[in-house]
Order: sequence, then C-alpha cells, then structure tokens
Amino acid sequence: MTVNMIAFGFLTLALLFAFLRLTRNPNRDHRIMALDRVIAIDLMATLSIGFMTLFAVETGKAVFLDAAMVLALIAFLGTVAFARYLEKGK
Amino acid sequence: MFWDILSKILILIGGFFMFVAALGVLRMPDLYMRLHANTKSATFGIGFLLLGAAVHFGEFAISIRALSILLFLFATAPVAAHMIGRAAYIAKSPLWGGTLSDDLAGKYDKKTHELTAEIEEPKAAKKN
Amino acid sequence: MRYFLLNIILALTWAMLNGEINSGNIIAGFIIGYIILYVAQRALGAPPYFGKISRLIQFVAFFSVELVKSNIKVASDVLTKHNYMKPRIIAVPLDAKTDAEITLLANLISLTPGSLSLDVSNDKKVIYVHVMYAEDADAAKREIKNGLERWVLKLFSSDKKDRLS
Repeated sequence: MTVNMIAFGFLTLALLFAFLRLTRNPNRDHRIMALDRVIAIDLMATLSIGFMTLFAVETGKAVFLDAAMVLALIAFLGTVAFARYLEKGK
Repeated sequence: MFWDILSKILILIGGFFMFVAALGVLRMPDLYMRLHANTKSATFGIGFLLLGAAVHFGEFAISIRALSILLFLFATAPVAAHMIGRAAYIAKSPLWGGTLSDDLAGKYDKKTHELTAEIEEPKAAKKN
Repeated sequence: MRYFLLNIILALTWAMLNGEINSGNIIAGFIIGYIILYVAQRALGAPPYFGKISRLIQFVAFFSVELVKSNIKVASDVLTKHNYMKPRIIAVPLDAKTDAEITLLANLISLTPGSLSLDVSNDKKVIYVHVMYAEDADAAKREIKNGLERWVLKLFSSDKKDRLS
C-alpha cells in the first residue's frame, strides 16, 4: 500500500503546483492570463481523474472508475468551450 | 504476485509523470511550452496510472473500462491543446525569448481569424 | 474483410472447443486463428489482410517507443535547468489530403512530446507545428514528414485498397 501512498504524494504535489500556476501568473494581458489559467484547470481536471483512479485501486472499488470516466468526458468540453470563447471574445 | 508488482510499478511511473507535468506547467517559460507539458506528460502519466489500475483489477469488464478512459483521453487531449494553442496565438501570447523562428507570424487574418492560404513553402523565418 | 470474418469464426470455434466463451479464450483463439490463416494464405489466395494488421501493430509499437523516448526527454528537461530547449514554430507542407488523415496526423503530432500542432491553413496544404527541440528547422520538418506522416498515409492507403477489392 505504500506505493499507492507515494503516488498520492506525487499527485498532491502536482495539484499544489497547478494551483500555484493558477494564482500566480506572469502575464499582464487578461486574455492570455485567462488562457494560462485554463491550462492550469485542465491539468487539475486530469489530476482529479488520476486521484479517482488511484482511489479505486486503493479501496478496491471499481465504481470510482465510472466517476473518472464521467470527469474525463466533462473536463474536455469545458476546456474547449473556454478556448473558443477566449478566441472570439474580449 | 508478478501482476501485483507490475501494477505497482505502473502506478508509480504514472504518478511521477503527472508530477513532472505539473512541474513543467509551473516552470516552463512560455504558454506554448506549458501546453506541451500539460498535453503530453499529463496524458502519458494518467495512461500509466490507468494501465496500472487495469492490471490491478485484472477483471475483463473493469480493465476494459480503464482502457476506454485511456483511449478517450488520448483522443481528446490533443484537441483541447489545439484549441488553446490557436486561441493563444490569436491573443498574441508572447513567445519565449529563446524561440528561434516563427513561421506563423502574420499569417492570421486580423478580423476573421482565418489562416490565409499558403501554397508555396513559406520562408519568412522571422527572428523573435 | 472475408479474412477478418474467418478469423473471428476460428476464434469462436477455439473458444467453444475449450468449453467456455470468455475473453481470454477468444483472444487466444484470435491469435491462433491469425497464425493459421497466415500459414494457409497461399492456398486461399494472397489477401491484403495480413499486411494491414501487421502494419497496424508495427505502427502502434513505433508510436509507443516514440512516446516513451520523447517523454523521458521532456521529463529530464523539466527536472533540470532548461538548456536544451530550442523552440520554433514551423510550417510543414502536408501530403495528407482527406480530413480524416489530417485529423489523425494532427492528433499524433500533438501526442508525441516535443511537437504540438497549432493550426492547419485554410486550403489544407500546410500544418503549423510548435516544436521544442529544433536546432535545424528543415531537420524537424523532415522528421515529421518521414516519421508520422508516412505512417498515417500508409495506414490509410492500405485501408482504401482493402475496401475497393
């Protein structure tokens, strides 16, 4: 089980880094800043899928994989919608 | 026993690559390279995690589910990256100072955001 | 197509003879049926089936190796100081014509670390790619053209030929 804990640690650190990128941003232009944040959020969604997969392995309950699948479907749509909006709008 | 160890190794590699992806997103100097880290290392990492889960459960129905998540992520991650990259270029996100050349410079129509048709090989390698 | 059906029938036969139809038996039966058909292909007339499947397997192997190799490169670059990075945006002229080919190529380019497809020109002649390690722009272009695009074209051309026959 320790291996799972190490993997959890990696993912937690990764989530922390993604959060730092989300809050601290070197750009001035607000559109580019928003795009940077979209990248960070996309990464966080991927990390959440990773968390769910790990949790399914840790607890031995495969139901969590279903949740991971749903998140994989939804997160992608959100990213695409954001990118399209930022491409067109002000 | 062997499958157990294999799944542990896969999960460890997956976690490590997701960590690398997040570090890349934090450290890379410009938006495009952050996109590189996000699209590839993260997808690669989660691929290993899901393979590890598939090996761990070892049941056909569950493993197929894990593999279908994997397939779906591999199909959608490049699309999201393409959308963000295109929007970033149109928003004039600055390229890193060390970028050697930019073939895309000046190719976008300002109003319609359409790429102008380019039949011959573009050779305007503008230093940035 | 006929060979694919034959292969499936052989796999089912194998599973039934084993007394139980489950995934392991069917996969084993499929592989054994493939080998049998491969041995018997001279008697049955040369089909395009084997070239296609083996090409697909070769492609998957090639792509996996490429994926692992370049991911390790990116990882080492992220973990140490980024000295090796030589990013460029390059324009790669496309030989792929149809939408399906271009989509597959763009996705594969994005998935191989070190390159990210940004956009395709309106007339579908040029694809713009952001590459991370390109000391020589022409070498990077050649790498994409000779590596991924050649594979994609090969996969699709065999597909068309098979459908026509």
